[in-house]
Amino acid sequence: MDFFLQQLINGLSLGALYALIAVGYTVVYGIVQLINFAHGEIFMIGAFGAYAVWIVIGKPTGWDVGPSLLVLLPLMIIGGIAASVTVALLTERLAYRPLRNAPRLAPLISAIGVSVFLQEAVRLFYGTIPGFPDAKAGFPFPTVTGISGRMVEVGGVILQFSTLFTIGALIVCTVGLWYFVNRTKVGRAMIATSQDPDTARLMGINVDRVIMAAFAVGAALAAIAGVAHGLRYQTIIGDMGFMAGLKAFTAAVLGGIGNIYGALVGGVVLGVVESLSAAYLGGGSAWKDVWAFGLLILVLVFRPQGLLGAKVVDRA
Amino acid sequence: MIKLPISDEQLQRLQLPARIAGIVGSALMAGSIAVPWSYDPDALDDMSFAMAPSPLQLHFLVLALLGLLAFAVPLLGRKRLGKLARLAAWNAAARTAAGGGAVVALVAIAAIGIEAGGLVNTEPGVWVALAGGILALAGGLLLPPSPEPGLGRMKPPRWVQIVVIVVGLAAVVFAAAYALSLSEGGEFFLFAALAVALVLVLKEWGAFGWLSIAAADNKRVLVAAAFVAAFSFPFTQGGSDANMSIAAQVLVFAATAMGLNIVIGLVGLLDLGYIAFLGAGAFTAAMLSGSAFATINWEPPFWLTALIAAVVAAILGLLIGTPTLRVSGDYLAIVTLAFGEIFRLTMINLDGTDGPNLTHGPNGIPGIPNLNFFGFYFGDPQHLFGIETGRFANYFWLMLLVMAFIILVFTNLNRSRIGRGWVAIREDELAAEAMGVNTFALKLLAFAGGAFLAGLAGAVRAHQYTSVVPEQFVFLESAFLVAAVVLGGMGTVMGVIIGATILKVLPEKLRFFEDYRLLLFGLLMVFMMRFRPEGIIADERRQLEFHADDEELAEEVELELIAWHDHYNPEPKGH
Repeated sequence: MDFFLQQLINGLSLGALYALIAVGYTVVYGIVQLINFAHGEIFMIGAFGAYAVWIVIGKPTGWDVGPSLLVLLPLMIIGGIAASVTVALLTERLAYRPLRNAPRLAPLISAIGVSVFLQEAVRLFYGTIPGFPDAKAGFPFPTVTGISGRMVEVGGVILQFSTLFTIGALIVCTVGLWYFVNRTKVGRAMIATSQDPDTARLMGINVDRVIMAAFAVGAALAAIAGVAHGLRYQTIIGDMGFMAGLKAFTAAVLGGIGNIYGALVGGVVLGVVESLSAAYLGGGSAWKDVWAFGLLILVLVFRPQGLLGAKVVDRA
Repeated sequence: MIKLPISDEQLQRLQLPARIAGIVGSALMAGSIAVPWSYDPDALDDMSFAMAPSPLQLHFLVLALLGLLAFAVPLLGRKRLGKLARLAAWNAAARTAAGGGAVVALVAIAAIGIEAGGLVNTEPGVWVALAGGILALAGGLLLPPSPEPGLGRMKPPRWVQIVVIVVGLAAVVFAAAYALSLSEGGEFFLFAALAVALVLVLKEWGAFGWLSIAAADNKRVLVAAAFVAAFSFPFTQGGSDANMSIAAQVLVFAATAMGLNIVIGLVGLLDLGYIAFLGAGAFTAAMLSGSAFATINWEPPFWLTALIAAVVAAILGLLIGTPTLRVSGDYLAIVTLAFGEIFRLTMINLDGTDGPNLTHGPNGIPGIPNLNFFGFYFGDPQHLFGIETGRFANYFWLMLLVMAFIILVFTNLNRSRIGRGWVAIREDELAAEAMGVNTFALKLLAFAGGAFLAGLAGAVRAHQYTSVVPEQFVFLESAFLVAAVVLGGMGTVMGVIIGATILKVLPEKLRFFEDYRLLLFGLLMVFMMRFRPEGIIADERRQLEFHADDEELAEEVELELIAWHDHYNPEPKGH
């Protein structure tokens, strides 16, 4: 039982990571019907942005719990968000917006190009900034006193603080997202645009700005996921966005792409399935990615609209 | 085309001075090769002698002389030129030649500067060439625009067409052999720039309109000549295997891209895991190859192995296509990507500890013997017409046959009922379905058919590379295949061959920017989609899809179609 609970917790925190990234896929898809293939790289840039902040403020290591949690961690998160949002808005402006009326294949291929470009740009040039480590190999993520390395045991189950941070981040972000979508003007404009862009435009909504907002929100959550990833695995590397992005997309489809809460649910379900299948299914952890992608194919066969139902399913 | 803020009247008055500037500039370019370009004999192909130009300088001379000709011919006057004045776009060709010359001179300066370490190593010659190029370009820009060249509507005797086709193809073979023999990046790049400039000059002049008619009239001759040309390519290599290895790799890559071209170019389904089908074919062939590491103790003859490999790939295609082809196109892209990852991970895991031992995991299956095809052993060098060709030449020829088969399938399908159904699906799936096209069956056919062709290519590849490793089939390879199709021109045969060649040969020859290869590749994809989504060689229908609101293009395409129709259905005279 303890083993099962432990795996469940691991799955939940992994799923929380996926969920945070998946929101970015789903909000963008819900509005412009584009699979932002480069979103995994936005997640990676969030982690590298946070690392950059840590270097700029002088690589603090031995801070006390208080300043570390109240100053260092927020600064790193803000730095990550700033980097992610900037890059996401730039790619939207330069690579996607000009293609908005092109055939559907064009923006998707462009997105693949952006993905490869961003990954290579970080790999090649991150280390050339004075004082920055080479991103061609992985390097350790800074330790944040109060989270890194701490754990508690509750009834035989070990709870890493980084795990709790990830799950907590997901809960906070969900509440924030709910507030943003339902209570703010931009959020409601986003919903309106995803339902009917032409009518939304007639009602005086600036669709371009709404699309930018969608990219920004997705990038911000991905950046938080990037920091959580760094704390959880204690190492970051330039190509970490590829697999994570693929899994997060799976999660978005699983929940029903275009449906924000679906992405959250899909992420958590995917994380738990992956964690439990590694623990209980034959073959062990070597096959966990295979099961995760197998789940994606199964969902598409039996429930293509996803667990919570997608807004747009049949658009060729 | 750059438009200068000068009225037509002024242009008319400036015509003579502009022409003279162009002639002087072109003459300067031509003359510059008599003077050394570089102080360092090691930079490029030794341009350090006076009065003894290097091969590349001689190629440059051709471009300069073409420009000179194009600038000078209209001086003869409309009357004396007669028909020739309207047949070719002399001014446009002159402008392109001048611009190309300037660009090539700049490339030469950059290459000398990089290879010899500093611009001090350049000699006056190359700067004279650059100055001449800029002067000629200025003159060319001031010339009035050319009318549409009438060459395309001229019908020469049959034998002229055939001679031009044969000579043209021979030139392509020798240019390719020469380009491959250039080992240094700078030389290769300079030659590539020259070749592109020459092709562009010919295009502007109006030669391609004429060529496309000639090609259409002599399709069989063209196809036969193209294959003879490709077949004779190994004989230009003097028994060297290094370049043939690249050439054979290019063919495997191009054949796979042609299979993908059916899926992307004709049906418009984005398959991001296509490399997995190639991998399935390669692994199947490796397991049945009789290698010491093969895991299946059965060694059928190669034709059977190839068939099994292709069928295995096609079955995989059916398995993955059946569930996903019912949902939207975007899902397909990601599901195929996921499938590609599943395939790679499965091949890694089938190592005996995490699963049954089929592939030896990450180590793969090495030591695959050479093919033995109906008693023809592929490991031996061949002696034909007194010229020795190496091992890779054999694979090159085999892949040529596979390629011919794939092109045959592609072009015939494209013109058939099935092909029209595919295009209808690509343009509007709902409308196609309403018209009675069985969209699901046709999509599945394309998907499985593409997988079959990839499996076939994979079977040859396993023997050619002698080892099959899961890491050869990563996502990036799929992305490269998609890029080859997109870059060359979706739905075209020539385009995809050109795209595959560029993507495979450039990294081999430009080792010095190996690090930046992927970076440039990503940028290239973005820029292609932004500025020329239809690819280098555009399928006309496709081009219209990408530029739906371009009225001019629609008119142009329509006029061209009418011209073709008139050409093939001449109105009976005397009515």
